[in-house]
Amino acid sequence: MTEDMRSILKCVRCGTCRSVCPVFDVLGWESTGARGRMMVAHGVSQGLEVDKDVLDSLNTCTTCGMCKEMCPSGAAPTKVVENTRHQLVLQGKMTDAQKELRGNAIETGNPLGESAERMAWLGDSRKDVKDKADYVYFSGCLGSYRYPDLAKRTFDILKKFGVTVLKDEVCCGSPLLRTGSDPSELMEKNLDQIKEIGAHTIITGCAGCFSTLKNDYPEKLNVMHVSQFLAERLDEMDLKKLDLKVAYHDPCHLGRCNGVFDEPRQLITAVCELDEMENIREKSKCCGAGGGVLKGYPELALELSKKRAEDIPEGVDYLVTVCPLCRTNLQRGSGDIKVIDVLDLLEMAMV
Amino acid sequence: MQKTDILGKLQGIVGDRNVSTSSAELYCYSCDASQIRGMPDYVIRPENTEQVSKVVKVAYDHEIPVTARGAATGLAGGAVPVEGGIVLDMSSMDKIEELDLDNLQVVVESGVVQAKLNAVLEPYGFFFPPDPGSSAMCTIGGLIGNNGSGMRSVKYGTTRSYVLGLEVVMADGTIINTGSKVMKSVSGYSLTDLYVGSEGTLGVITKAILKVIALPKERSVLLASFETPELAGQAVVKTLASGIVPSACEILDRNIIEAINTYDPSIGIPEAGAILLFEVDGTENAVIEGIGMVSEVCRSLATSVKTASDKAERDEIWAARKMVGAAISRLDPMRTRVYVGEDVGVPIKQIPAMLHKVREISKEFDLPIMTYGHIGDGNLHTGMCIDVMEDGDWEKLNKAADKIHHEALGLEGTVTAEHGVGGARADFMALEVGNALDLMVAIKKALDPKGIMNPGKMGL
Repeated sequence: MTEDMRSILKCVRCGTCRSVCPVFDVLGWESTGARGRMMVAHGVSQGLEVDKDVLDSLNTCTTCGMCKEMCPSGAAPTKVVENTRHQLVLQGKMTDAQKELRGNAIETGNPLGESAERMAWLGDSRKDVKDKADYVYFSGCLGSYRYPDLAKRTFDILKKFGVTVLKDEVCCGSPLLRTGSDPSELMEKNLDQIKEIGAHTIITGCAGCFSTLKNDYPEKLNVMHVSQFLAERLDEMDLKKLDLKVAYHDPCHLGRCNGVFDEPRQLITAVCELDEMENIREKSKCCGAGGGVLKGYPELALELSKKRAEDIPEGVDYLVTVCPLCRTNLQRGSGDIKVIDVLDLLEMAMV
Repeated sequence: MQKTDILGKLQGIVGDRNVSTSSAELYCYSCDASQIRGMPDYVIRPENTEQVSKVVKVAYDHEIPVTARGAATGLAGGAVPVEGGIVLDMSSMDKIEELDLDNLQVVVESGVVQAKLNAVLEPYGFFFPPDPGSSAMCTIGGLIGNNGSGMRSVKYGTTRSYVLGLEVVMADGTIINTGSKVMKSVSGYSLTDLYVGSEGTLGVITKAILKVIALPKERSVLLASFETPELAGQAVVKTLASGIVPSACEILDRNIIEAINTYDPSIGIPEAGAILLFEVDGTENAVIEGIGMVSEVCRSLATSVKTASDKAERDEIWAARKMVGAAISRLDPMRTRVYVGEDVGVPIKQIPAMLHKVREISKEFDLPIMTYGHIGDGNLHTGMCIDVMEDGDWEKLNKAADKIHHEALGLEGTVTAEHGVGGARADFMALEVGNALDLMVAIKKALDPKGIMNPGKMGL
């Protein structure tokens, strides 16, 4: 707790985060910005009664990390928010959405509560799954259940490079970790399989999975995003130029939080024209879905998505991203502009 | 009257969604960036002047304190409701109502953020000059309430110079307008000037007519390194007497240089006992000539003099300078910057003496004190970092701050050049202004007979 308190006390309340917190920009109350959340976390540690408003303050954070990026005094509000959520969950204090995410993940191995077979998306590619391999493709919950065609398409490209999948993959743990619950069981289950396969590298197409596998697993893993893996192998892919102009959204947990900016752009510019959005790379604005916000506060997530959509330049054919959660929420706010994954774009360009 | 009845009245005025009494929200509105604390009973986010007027009328009728608040970036507790009551969060009143650039002015609501106003003005080639470090988030209302300023005040002056008129809600809810759209007017007392810097103690500012000016065609930055802060101070005095008015003149001491280089190593400011940053703006020729003159003056005292090579380098230096206040906290993971005794000002020729005093105080209390600030107008910011979990550190800090204030006053200076008195420096008012404080108290009583406007501030 002392370490937590030190982190909270790093905040000098200068208010810089007021100018960058996307949630504060929409909701406007002090408790809904990073500075307010640091205060609430401090209050909770000093005995502030944990009621709905405290939970809403802490749980409306998308954990996009913009506050940490811009904080002059070196505070890490995102970490404080996650830790405080965890402290409160341990005391049984959480929102219904937090409960549901946790319940689902424990019961079904995914936060969506899907009971169907997770790897059904493999279809006729099931035969290509190997027992031993250097690389594993981690399809993720949204890939497996919401974008199964994309998952299959990704695997069909990756398998040519000797990549396999986990036969009994479960949620990476990200949704639990971000919302204060303990993901260790899920992590162990994935980790055991990774070891059994003998893989040295995990490849994922989701920003949330990427960040969690890379930074939060009990053992250090070599993790690559699909875009990184393919950018290294562009020469080996037969791609034609498309007469398209697209914009690219940097997912927070891939870009700002983990420094992957260039590879998705390399893939895009290899096949078509890229017209950048306003606010890109480290300054990319959140899609609005992360940190449990899409699940817990769908209306807020929609407003955040609409705000992000204002950054799309006029006249682009698609908005491209590399995270299924960003894609899902961005599509809600982007009106007529179709949001696609970079793999969808590559598919169009395959000869 | 019961609290629930008051709440009902307030909800009736601004709607349920614009009032909060939740403990989490009240806690978040109980402070600013200073060490002053006070828990409000209600937080209200009004949408227009009429709502502010009606809320203040309720407060007047029931003798409830009212504290106006912009972005609460203040460093003296000006927006902290030390006696409870209503906090009016003005940040929703953020409309730029009129861009009247032919008349060199704009009309804005008081919740407009400084940087947003300047972003709107820039394409037209205009700007609103007062530029505190908090420009990205601070509101026009807060700037006016504190008569805020920043790095460019050495040439452009403080907020006061840019307020042509105000719309103010008085303590009884009456709405008045001060000043006019004319560039100068001597009709009666300057009530506008009375309200600028009044820290919400005489009424709530809801709108302002602001003077804006054309952006300079060119800017250039010169960076001069010195062996000691005192030598840098002498260079400032000499430069200002040489006939050139720099648009900024900032000092950074050794520790601040380290803080900036820690915050963003790519900037690579050279190590030195102190650095002066000069900016000169104007037409292309004026800038070349001005930088040349500054360079010549500094050369005799400095160890090195360097001009920023391009706009990118210049912008980077200024961006880093703006972050410095809080970036000091980065130097040591166990320490946090605490804003006390951070805003003294002295007459220009006393700058070297004040810098020397600060170094002595630092030694006396065995407390590292970093110095930076708008040395061109005699305004020095002192940055002290302590382990905030150590009581002994707090005691040392407060004693050092007191001493800094006293030393500044001893040099015919001021305890606050731009951050405000608020609750943090209220005890120094009588000492600094003498019996003029009686007059201030009389004015306060005349305009706020029930004492409900931001009570407990400015020693009133």
